Formats: sequence, structure tokens, C-alpha cells
Amino acid sequence: MSARAVILRVAALLLLVAFVTAPQLFAFAFAPLTANDAPAIYNQGSLLALTLSHVRIVVLATLASTVLAVTLGIFVTRPGGREFLPLSRSLVNIGQTFPPIAVLAIAVPLVGFGEKPTFIALFLYGLLPIFENTLAGLTDVSPRTLEAARGMGMNARQRLWQVELPLALPVILAGIRLSVIISLGTATIGSTVAAKGLGEVIIAGLQSNNVAFILQGGLVVALLAVLIHDGLGLAERATARRLGRPVDEIA
Amino acid sequence: MIEIEHLSKRFGESIVVDDVSFTVGEGEIAVVVGTSGAGKSTLLRMINRLVVPDAGRVLIDGQDTATIPEDELRHRIGYVIQGYGLFPHRTVAENIATVPRLLGWDRRRIAARVEELLDLFQLDPGEFAQKFPHQLSGGQQQRVGVARALAAKPALLLMDEPFGALDPVIRGKAQDDLLAIQRRLGTTIVLVTHDMNEAFHLGSRIAVMDQARLVQYAKPADLLTHPAEAFVEQLVGTAERPFRLLSLASVQDAMEPGSAEGDPITVSATLREALAQLIWRGRSALPVADAAGAPIGRISVDGILKHGRSLA
Repeated sequence: MSARAVILRVAALLLLVAFVTAPQLFAFAFAPLTANDAPAIYNQGSLLALTLSHVRIVVLATLASTVLAVTLGIFVTRPGGREFLPLSRSLVNIGQTFPPIAVLAIAVPLVGFGEKPTFIALFLYGLLPIFENTLAGLTDVSPRTLEAARGMGMNARQRLWQVELPLALPVILAGIRLSVIISLGTATIGSTVAAKGLGEVIIAGLQSNNVAFILQGGLVVALLAVLIHDGLGLAERATARRLGRPVDEIA
Repeated sequence: MIEIEHLSKRFGESIVVDDVSFTVGEGEIAVVVGTSGAGKSTLLRMINRLVVPDAGRVLIDGQDTATIPEDELRHRIGYVIQGYGLFPHRTVAENIATVPRLLGWDRRRIAARVEELLDLFQLDPGEFAQKFPHQLSGGQQQRVGVARALAAKPALLLMDEPFGALDPVIRGKAQDDLLAIQRRLGTTIVLVTHDMNEAFHLGSRIAVMDQARLVQYAKPADLLTHPAEAFVEQLVGTAERPFRLLSLASVQDAMEPGSAEGDPITVSATLREALAQLIWRGRSALPVADAAGAPIGRISVDGILKHGRSLA
């Protein structure tokens, strides 16, 4: 990584931390965007707390998606589960086809307002990229490598943990990264059903016609997305480099 | 010793291996040759039960392999395939340590064994232990593949076209290295190839397969002088026969007393090599030296021809 790239990343991180911990420092920049003496900085709650709960729900939902999608991906690539591949694909695809807003509409009457419906929407929406990448990663392992593993007396479990998963890891990580980024943006609509998150700031801006609020919410989400995307990308590249693959092959 | 008794395998309608039996003695190299699709690889894979036979059995030192749990059986049998199937995410040392780790050896014993094998295969541990397979040349990968198969000191080594991915120059060297290591360790080897030169170079016995059947199983010289079927004759190449016979005999066999002018030939060289030297250097006879370089006799064109005629 070049020195310039490092500096840019550190600067973005510092900017994010400074903004969510002491937003008033940036009031001067947002003031020109307000009208009628409206507040320049979101004042209906702590930006830090909103950011943390936003990240928390994204992380929880992605973790849940990862567990289910990877497990499913492993299951349908085993000899016993192969016939369930078309079914699993359809199910996961449905999760992606349903717009999250529709999921919220259906989920609220069932589980009530708050974080639960948002969690469900993000969880369903995040399954597809992880599942497809798990499949791609696992089916991409060279048959020769697997033949050698079998010939040396590795049982099915040892082949999975010691050979297949480590080799599929960069591709699976790429799926998780995609899913996290989608969820970070999508989680903002959770605020329409009273989930704590950065959507609150945007919605407050929309309701009071305050462009400064909208921009602040959007800006924090965008910075989060860029930084997380970058960090996970680094992890992928590190695992891929170990395998001797060019980075662009998995990008 | 491994005894293969009446092994058969069908895949659907087609029979791939048809009632094959032969025995490989302790420390021997049995080479299985034949055209592609003759069932060679399937036969090999039935020995470590990667393919389960429909009929027949394999005995290793008298023990029926069907009675040993599959994984345990494979821990005891080295296996090298074409392309080697090295684990791309593991270093050379980790690759070699695969079976010892599965067997639960302690760390110190594994490290010592890895170092020993790297030395044996002329790979400097300091330079190669921490490299990944993609950083190695084809010949180095091949050596790591064989070292990995030998890591847990198996008494039997199965090799499926182990030199197939190497270019001809490196292949010859790799074959010589394998022979040297095999002589040192006394490992019994069953090797599959479609390269007849390789078969004659390595095999103490050669099994010829054609259309799922074992056509002949014999010492290389017997295969040349007493081919069981027209197919065997065709496979060994009629025109090549005398030269193959000469390549199986050593200078020792046709050495005469006396001396001659010129650089000596070592007594362990094959008659084919000796004849090549005589032709190329334009001599009718050359001195023969023992391993230490002391002259012990002479070898002549006439002597080689006479010996060659007596073999045919």
C-alpha cells in the first residue's frame, strides 16, 4: 500500500471519529445549508450513539447472514446436500428480490417496531452475495487438490476445514464485504420503523427540510462504508496473497 | 509385499478393470503401462481404496485392505498424482507435514522429519521450507509432492503419472532421483505411466494393461524377449527392442579382460550408453573403470553386439 493511500485512509478515519464525537466543531461547514435559523448540526440525539447502533445492527445482521449462507453453501456442496442446491438458490434469491422496505412492512405487524424488523430485512437482503460467493469459492477448489487430500487420508471434515474453507476464504470474504456495504446503506430505512440508526438524522432532515441534517447522516454512512469496504478488502487481499493469486482475480 | 487378487471394477456398463492379479515384492517398483483408458489409474486407486473394487481384494503384507479403515489405510500409503495436488495455502513445510499432522506426531518430530525430507530431495530447508507451492518450479513442486507422500514413512508408494507434468530434461533427472531415493529407503512403489521409456527405466517389473485386462506382468527383459501378445510387442516397439535390451544390461555383462585406449566408461553404465559412447567417439573398444576409477577391463563394439544377439 502506498504512503498516500495510508494517509488518505487515516484521514478518513480521523474525520469520521472527530465528526461523530464532536459534531459541533463542524457547524461552520453546515451552517450555510440551513435556512430560518434552523440548527446546523443534528440536535435530537447523540450522533455517536446513533452511529454505534447503526454499525451494531449491520454487524449483527451480517453475522447472522454469514452463518446461515456459509452453512447453506457448505451443505449444498456436500454429496448429501447437492440436490438441495436449486431450492437453496431460490430461497436466497427471494431474500434478495424482496425490497427491504416491503420486508419492513410485513415484519412490523409480526414482530413490532424497533430493531427486529430492520434486522430481519438486512439479514434476508445480505444472504445472497455471501451464499453465491461461498458456492463459487468451494466449487472452485481444484479437483486435484481434493484428490490429493483424500489420497492422504483426510476425512470429509478435515478436507472441509483444512483445505476447502481456507482456499475459499478470500471469495467468501468478498461476499461478506459486499453484504456489509449493502446493509450499511439499507439500514438507514430502518429508522422508518423506529430502529436506532443514522437514518434518523436523514429522516429528521427530510421532515424539517434541513439539508444539513440529510447531508450529515449521508456523510457518516458513506465514510463508514468506504472505511469498512477498505478494511475488509485488505483482509481479502492478505488471504489471497497467501494463496498466490493475483488480487484482481477475486475482486 | 502387496498382492492384488482378481480386482474388477465397472463404471455403469463399461468394465474398467477386469480380473487383474499380480504381486509386487518388497522394495520392488512395479510400473503399470498401457494406452489411456486401459484402467491403469483405476487399478492404482483401488489399492488405496479411493475407488472401491467390485470384486477381488488387495493384501498389504498379508492384510486385506478392506479390513483397515480407509483413512488409516491411506495414512500408510504414499500417494502422488500428476500435477501433485499440493495445497496452495500451505507452505512447503506444512505440505510435507500433512500426514504426520493427521497422525498427531508432536511438533519437534514433524519439524525434524520435514527437514530430513527436504535434505533428501536436495531442497535447502532454509530457502524452501517457508515458500508456497506457487513460488516453486515444476521440478521443485514434483519433489515436494513425493516428499509429502513419503513423510510418514509409508512402506508403499502409489504414483500416478508423477513425471507427466515435467519437461523431458527435468523428467530424466527426477526419475534418477526417485530411483536413488527408492534404493535408499527400500520403499515398494506402484507407478502408472504411459511412457514406455519411463517404464523400462524405473520398473523392476512391468504390468501391461489393455482394455481393462492385465496382458502381461513380467521383468522388463522378459517383456522384450517373450511378449505375451501382439499388443505388448506393439507397445514396446519392435524396432526399439534391441536398444531397450541393451539399456537393461550393464557394462559388467559384456566386459572383456584386457585394456584399451581412451577415457574409461564406468562399470555401472548401461550397454546402450556404452555403445553410444563407442559410436560417438569412433572407437572399437574403450577401457572400463570401477566406481573408484581404477581400470578393470575393456568393452568393445563386437562384445556388445555379441551380447545383444545372445539376449534376443
